[in-house]
Amino acid sequence: MIDETYMVLKRAREFPKDSWTLKRALDDGAYDNLKKAVTEISQADLIELVKNAGLRGKGGAGFPTGMKWSFVPKDVFPKYVVINHDEGEPGTFKDREIAERDPHQMIEGIAIAAYAVGANKAFIYCRGEFALGSRRMDRAIKEAYEKGFLGKGIFGSKFDLDIVLHRGAGAYICGEESALLDSLEGFRGQPRLKPPFPAIKGLYGQPTVVNNTETVSTLPHIVANGVDWFKGFGTEKSPGTKVFSVSGHVERPGNYEVAYGTTLDQLLDLAGGMKDGKTLKAIIPGGASAPLLTHADYALDFDSLKEAGTMLGSGAVVYMDETTCMVRNALVTTEFFAHESCGKCTPCREGTSWAVKVLRRVESGEGRQEDMDLLLDIANGMDGRSFCPLGDAASWALRSNVKLFREEFEAHVREGRCTFDGEHKELVGARSGIDTGISQQGDEGLGGEDRLS
Amino acid sequence: MTQQQTEMVTVTINGQQVQAENGRLLIDVAEEMGIFVPRFCYHPGMKSVAVCRMCLVKVEGMPKLVPSCSTPVADGMVVETDTPEPAGAQEDMLEFLLINHPLDCPICDRGGECPLQDQTYAHGPGSSRFVEPKRTYEKALDISQLVVLDRERCVLCWRCVRFSDEVAGDRFIQLVDRGSGTQILTFSDEPFDSYFSGNTIQICPVGALTASTYRFVSRPWDLKAAPSVCSYCSVGCPTTNESRGDKLVRVQALPNENVNDFWICDKGRFGFHYVDAKDRLSTPLVRDGDDFRSATWGEAVAAAAEKLGGGKVGVIAGGHLTTEDAFAIQRLARKTIKTPHLDARIQDDGAAYERTLAYSGVVGSTATINDLDGARSIVWVGPDPKEVLPVLYLRLRKAVLDGGAKLIVVSPRRLSLDAFATHVIRCEPGGEANALSALTTTAPVKDDLAAPLVACWSPANPGRETGADLDSLLKVAVEKDARWLVCAPHAGSQGMLDMGVHPALESGYRPIDEPGMDTRAMLEAAAAGELDALIVVGADPISDFPNRNLAQAAMEKVGFSLVIELFPTETARLADVVLPSTAAPEIEGTLTNLERRLQKLEPLTKSPGTAREPWRAMADLARAMDDDWKWTSFADVWAAITKEVPTHQDLDVAALAQEVPPSALQYESGTEEQPGPRGPVVAGPGGQYPKGHRSGAPFKTASWPLSWELRQFEAKQRPGHIPDAPEAPEEKVGAGADAAAPMSGEGFVVYAGRQIYDEGAMVSRSSVLHALSKGAFVELNDEDAKELDVTDGDEVTLTAGNNEMTATVVIADISKGAVFVPYDQKGLRANELLGAGGRVKVAKA
Repeated sequence: MIDETYMVLKRAREFPKDSWTLKRALDDGAYDNLKKAVTEISQADLIELVKNAGLRGKGGAGFPTGMKWSFVPKDVFPKYVVINHDEGEPGTFKDREIAERDPHQMIEGIAIAAYAVGANKAFIYCRGEFALGSRRMDRAIKEAYEKGFLGKGIFGSKFDLDIVLHRGAGAYICGEESALLDSLEGFRGQPRLKPPFPAIKGLYGQPTVVNNTETVSTLPHIVANGVDWFKGFGTEKSPGTKVFSVSGHVERPGNYEVAYGTTLDQLLDLAGGMKDGKTLKAIIPGGASAPLLTHADYALDFDSLKEAGTMLGSGAVVYMDETTCMVRNALVTTEFFAHESCGKCTPCREGTSWAVKVLRRVESGEGRQEDMDLLLDIANGMDGRSFCPLGDAASWALRSNVKLFREEFEAHVREGRCTFDGEHKELVGARSGIDTGISQQGDEGLGGEDRLS
Repeated sequence: MTQQQTEMVTVTINGQQVQAENGRLLIDVAEEMGIFVPRFCYHPGMKSVAVCRMCLVKVEGMPKLVPSCSTPVADGMVVETDTPEPAGAQEDMLEFLLINHPLDCPICDRGGECPLQDQTYAHGPGSSRFVEPKRTYEKALDISQLVVLDRERCVLCWRCVRFSDEVAGDRFIQLVDRGSGTQILTFSDEPFDSYFSGNTIQICPVGALTASTYRFVSRPWDLKAAPSVCSYCSVGCPTTNESRGDKLVRVQALPNENVNDFWICDKGRFGFHYVDAKDRLSTPLVRDGDDFRSATWGEAVAAAAEKLGGGKVGVIAGGHLTTEDAFAIQRLARKTIKTPHLDARIQDDGAAYERTLAYSGVVGSTATINDLDGARSIVWVGPDPKEVLPVLYLRLRKAVLDGGAKLIVVSPRRLSLDAFATHVIRCEPGGEANALSALTTTAPVKDDLAAPLVACWSPANPGRETGADLDSLLKVAVEKDARWLVCAPHAGSQGMLDMGVHPALESGYRPIDEPGMDTRAMLEAAAAGELDALIVVGADPISDFPNRNLAQAAMEKVGFSLVIELFPTETARLADVVLPSTAAPEIEGTLTNLERRLQKLEPLTKSPGTAREPWRAMADLARAMDDDWKWTSFADVWAAITKEVPTHQDLDVAALAQEVPPSALQYESGTEEQPGPRGPVVAGPGGQYPKGHRSGAPFKTASWPLSWELRQFEAKQRPGHIPDAPEAPEEKVGAGADAAAPMSGEGFVVYAGRQIYDEGAMVSRSSVLHALSKGAFVELNDEDAKELDVTDGDEVTLTAGNNEMTATVVIADISKGAVFVPYDQKGLRANELLGAGGRVKVAKA
């Protein structure tokens, strides 16, 4: 059994009772690295440092952070840093814990990022449901202002920074960076046409860096310890550590910080193994968008999982045991995507809701032999044709369920019922009551207000 | 305004190599090669959004299929549009779009000219694999008087939303809800209250938006179409007129990138019902005591000719007549009757268009509408273009928001342009001239007067001499080496000036040594009993002249009057002989727009009874007076025009022919080439512009989303007619000195202006539009309102002389001491107020 490797969760794990307070954070050296950055390191050197460290974005795509920063034009002002704290990927709850337990580390990281790209204003786009986290961030921001870590002339340098905390209104798509920016500007949260990318034209049409909470929370550690130390963790192409949100049929669900390259087996051991000693059936390795795996001897880094035909994503790992009905799994996942489809592009809007209708039939025993191929066709129709990755993600999840567990789907059709005894129906069926708007009859009133009730 | 040099790149599409301008959209380049990539959301007049995913194509080296509507061409690009991969994606998109589509084509207005239908035939599945219940909505919602929405048919291409957002700038129609429940809707408390709403119907690629006037009226294959030109305002938008049987049932925009882009206003689109109004005159009438009796054409012409032979005769013509009519009118007056008294300025009485002569040698514009796009600054002085020249408003908006021109507005009241103007200069009514003179010397305005500059002027203020502000503007323009748009108000006004229906100008802008009487002088002479006969062609001075009582007295006192009209107007009712006239959709003719662009109308429907074009009436009158012009056709008139009008000598009128696609929408479905009718601008001493000089140039297609700035403008402009206080900085320039003159005296200065929908003879006969006219309102400055103790929505009494009328108060940004009243609204006849001296007393009712 391996141990966890704490970096961004270090303070949270060492001081579980008060890690979020200013006193504890200061005692633990918070903001020292911001001071070091703004007083000792030039902006160009800082970008170079992060580039050399090989830090990759931890929101899902794994794009090298230093490279993202270097796309920002030097001579266009104002620039913005926007923190994507809209953690909406089903199964992911890492950013939530980072913000709740260590908001000062996050603010320090934001300030370092803003200093590096030359932004004087940063926005935290916080998922609307994160009540505790937003309270703690709000308080931490106030404390940082009082201490002079934010505001004018930070640590006597010429660097000014204001941070605005904004709570979202509950759409998954607003975790996609351009939809996030539209939402932040006050518009309907829908992805924008790219190019231009946010680094060139982002928030309010200005150069904008959008970074994930965990990514910026890593920055103080890189500034403190340098490139070589950081590269000592993880693999060559995925250096550092990653917080994985482990859930599903495991003994101890929760966030575990390990070095990249740790295997799914080792992670499962950390979480106490499969619940009640049941057998592992399937793994979602990187949030609901990631195609399934059927065994656990894969290393958790960007390249290994890509090779395995799936992805690391946001680091949400869901272990499912043999009692799981994969038709139901596909249904619940697809219902989520249908509900969260923003409606902008044809394939995602129509494909996800169509797939839900078919899956509901199959799950309730009214499937037809041709439905499996139909589901795959729907998935193919969405894959690579959607406006943004939401439609792609929906298609990957759907396709991998049908492909890997086709026999289960066929059994549902053959027997005219769900072939599982319902042991976990409550668990995975919790969301299936959510209407996707497709059964909307009559449309009372203009807006169809009852849609979500 | 020079054309930019563009780099050419080589692209290979479906194996064919082609040279294309770098950065142009793949979808356009392919289309020009004859390769039609199916699409729903893409529209060349708007920015790409790439949401329908129908136009996906394969580009070598790209990991995924790319939407050709948002992919610019680059050198060496190799593209496939019809190989299995892109074709498969196109089929999949159609299957997705059709699963929830009601397929009610047999009862859909769009059936037969529907891009969804056409593309389903071309690329779609033969049957559906969708066995579940379809998405349902309440079927037909009236979202305005004009537009009906059926959300079930909608494919959510956003064209209507983007049009409202980007082009019209009034965001009344929006996306509501999310995912599969996404709908197009208006806000629940506001109708789709746009002057341009009809365009959304025309660009809707399915039957989701239909016209209340055209629902269930015809199948497209039963329609006969003819190209024409809208005969309302002087923008002169090309239109496609369509009839079923001999009844005109639909008017749509005919795209022309030089004039209207792809758009027309709702007045042009829905305002055609006058042609078969119940009270349309179909037979000549001859006075018989207090009443009229019907007469044959010959009888009526003979009766009139007898009275026109000698004595003092005046001729007044209206603004909606063709160039041919104008030529015939001046020929009859000057050559046959030999009277110098003729004029075509009715509402804009006193407008001194001829002042441009001294600067350019032509009467009217030296700029084209397209010059706005390349302009760095634009000066606007005049009425609200959104009300009087609606499509020019769209072009001004585009020039500012897309082209980056700086707009300087000089006006006594807030105009819709103020929302995106760089400088707004508020002056007293009549103070425009001074304000303009100060432009070039006052910072910061002078710094923004950069070339290329287009100066725009239109007579704003009925009943007031407005030549001074034109003069002032022209001086600025000359100093800054600018071109100008001098916009006479109506579709036929410029033609009247060109053909010399003017007391001081012969055709071809040739000044006359001894000018005749203008409209006002003629009416005064008639009212004093000093005029023996008056010919009124296509005009209604009693309703329109800024002094109603004078016009009425003139008609009553004149020895003899001949009126040629479509309807029994108030003026016609007092005539001695009335000849029935023709409407624009019925005739072959030409109209000259505000940029002096001559455009051709083709006949579609038949005129009622014995109605004839005014030029035929003129020729018949001349013949009856022993001056046989031997005109029997349009070509005969033009033979005479090219001979007698110096500016039109070399004009080949046959070259003006416009073409319409078999179905006005069909060009989108790839079966027809995109129409590109481009009429030449009339050559004048001011110079000839290259024909269609922007043809083939790409439309600007900056990427979605809209810029932040533009959205700010939108936000400011919503929701409606009477915008909030101006956001643009307001400067007081040169309001002093002379401005004192009109401001002194008792009561408020009346500043009148036309609204898009009024009691005009043509538009008021379209019941859907008539219902939208705003009625009697009066705009007051908030300080003045406080002094009068009235507020928004209160009723006030306006008194001028013996005239008293009531109106609803609208607090607005208007110069203190002035009131704005709409011209010719129900219950509020501004020309009565103006006739009584141009001042009113306002009191709480």
